[in-house]
Amino acid sequence: MPAAPSKRVKGTQIRRHFLIGNTAHVLPSPGFPDPPPDGHTKGWTVYVRPLPNGPDITTWLKKVQFKLHHTYTDASRTIEAPGPFEVSETGYGEFGVEIRLYFAQESGEKAVYREHYLVLAAYGSDDQRARQERENKIVAERLETIEFNEPTQEFFKTLTSEEQFNWLKVKKGRGKGKKPDFIFEGAVEPTAQLPEKASEPGQAGAGGAWSVQYERQVLAQLQQSAAALDHSIEQEKRAMEERRRRLEEVGGAIGAK
Amino acid sequence: MATGSDIRAALASDFTPTVDPLRAAPTPTAARATPNQPRTRQPRLHKKPALRNRGRAAHWTYDTSTPPTRRDRLQVRQWRRAAPSADSTDVEPPASKFAKYDVKAEAPSYDDETYAQHLNHPDWTKEETDLLFAAYEECNGKWPVVVDHYETSTHRSMEELKSRLYSISATLLNLQTPMTAMTASEYSTYEVLKSFDPLKEASRKKLAEGHLRRPRNEVDEETVLLSELQRIMLHQQTLDSEREDLRRRLQHPVADQNGYQYSTSQALTTLWQQLLAADRAKKTQRLRPLEISGSRPSQSAASIADATSATPQTAQAVDMSKQDLLRFGVVQAQEKLPTGISFASDKLSKPRVAKSSLQTDKIAATLAHIGVPELIPLPTPAVVEQFERIMAKMQTLLDLRKVAEKEEQELRVRSAELGV
Repeated sequence: MPAAPSKRVKGTQIRRHFLIGNTAHVLPSPGFPDPPPDGHTKGWTVYVRPLPNGPDITTWLKKVQFKLHHTYTDASRTIEAPGPFEVSETGYGEFGVEIRLYFAQESGEKAVYREHYLVLAAYGSDDQRARQERENKIVAERLETIEFNEPTQEFFKTLTSEEQFNWLKVKKGRGKGKKPDFIFEGAVEPTAQLPEKASEPGQAGAGGAWSVQYERQVLAQLQQSAAALDHSIEQEKRAMEERRRRLEEVGGAIGAK
Repeated sequence: MATGSDIRAALASDFTPTVDPLRAAPTPTAARATPNQPRTRQPRLHKKPALRNRGRAAHWTYDTSTPPTRRDRLQVRQWRRAAPSADSTDVEPPASKFAKYDVKAEAPSYDDETYAQHLNHPDWTKEETDLLFAAYEECNGKWPVVVDHYETSTHRSMEELKSRLYSISATLLNLQTPMTAMTASEYSTYEVLKSFDPLKEASRKKLAEGHLRRPRNEVDEETVLLSELQRIMLHQQTLDSEREDLRRRLQHPVADQNGYQYSTSQALTTLWQQLLAADRAKKTQRLRPLEISGSRPSQSAASIADATSATPQTAQAVDMSKQDLLRFGVVQAQEKLPTGISFASDKLSKPRVAKSSLQTDKIAATLAHIGVPELIPLPTPAVVEQFERIMAKMQTLLDLRKVAEKEEQELRVRSAELGV
């Protein structure tokens, strides 16, 4: 244990979005051993990825440990930075994968567990299913937001430095002895927030579907649900009034007896 | 003089007690000759002193006399002790010792005139009334006896007799001394006499008798019902207050104080101070004290902790432009932050789980009903806030439903009671 925990930046919280999910393909499929081992019908990859235009995930995530089902050999797969934090395997059954995230040293935080349920079968509405079967690709992915509360000073510094976006930038222009410039050449400006619009469809699995647009969709859906809930509450209130009236009636009738 | 062998011999025989050896005749054998005669006694173990005449014997006389409390001229013969000397303390005949217990019941008397004027009653003839009063005096006011003694053609219950006598007594008392002139005790007696209700008395006595003859299982049933009733009464309070609470929550908060008292600026500042003081006592502070001294511009990024502690690292936190904050995902929190690492998606999943699995199921069913998916994949702050709003509303709905069930139950019970 270090001698003393370093001072923390009070009252601040740093949020980072990242993606946890898995893709699955019906074998045989490129990228997976052919012929597939006996009885294995699906090949899948479970991963932890950053947003496509977000800061580098290795700034704060140093190691990921995937705990697979005990029937797999080496059920505990550890991936260290920088490699893409993913595990590819073949199988036939769905199970919960326990993912352990190890943080950077300067954060001074313990590792945390998240769980992801490995989805191998097509899901969702009929069109979604049809499309998944056509493309032979099933993606089950969700956006997670990790919140670092009152981070240590060093951690804060690393998390707010411009260098995080270097992985997206392209080295340009080298003078002698000068440090290379990093210039961003992509379409979307890198930021830790969600991008405005989704990148082209089909990039699901690379995190391209997450955007503010999608957020608005989700919000709209939730607002609809809230309206339905209000409606139910109104109904209940009316019923309660009705009941109160009846209670008084009956009470009066009993008193008169 | 008996020797030990004599006694042993006597005992050895069929144990007829022999004559007292002290008083025995010098020839014990003669006494033992006829063992079956009754003139025998147990041998005494101690010496009794011989009788001696202490004083003169008292003189007793045997005459006839009449007991003082009897009305008829009964002649009774009794032994009475004559006066031993001049003192006359216990001279009275013994019968008169009990004379003090001869208490007579007092019933008021009336003459024919008064009867004709005031005491007439449709059910009672004059003879019956006279008979009643005579019986009352004879039986010394003991009603069970009076009922037995009172014999007429029409059978009257004890309550009827009582009521007749008491009403007559009340009227006569009233005639004697009008109500205004009565003393306190007289008035109370009058009131008591007037308020005798024969029907009530009869029913009361029947109830007491029924109570006495209750079988065991009825007693048990009654205790159980009483305890049940007590429990319900106890909980009535809490139930009512809960319902009121719920109703209040559904309606907008009504101000119970006049708001005009805070219209002056002075009053406003005092109100602000009060709220600030109350807020300081709370765990999570939501108010920010105004910085009157000095000017620290753009305090939008600083929280309470920053204002109070001017440590260097906090100054650093402020040193980023708003755009940079967004770019790096730095959030200046207003409320107390949880320690360590937290995940935003937890805020979308934890509220769905309640303490009991039944509640959890209810929540899941309601959420499905209104169309909230089980897994919301995008936990941005806006989404989280919206979800929390939905969960709050759902809590209200579930509470409403719970109260609805209880009220329905009670309605059913009451209308069943009404129908019965």
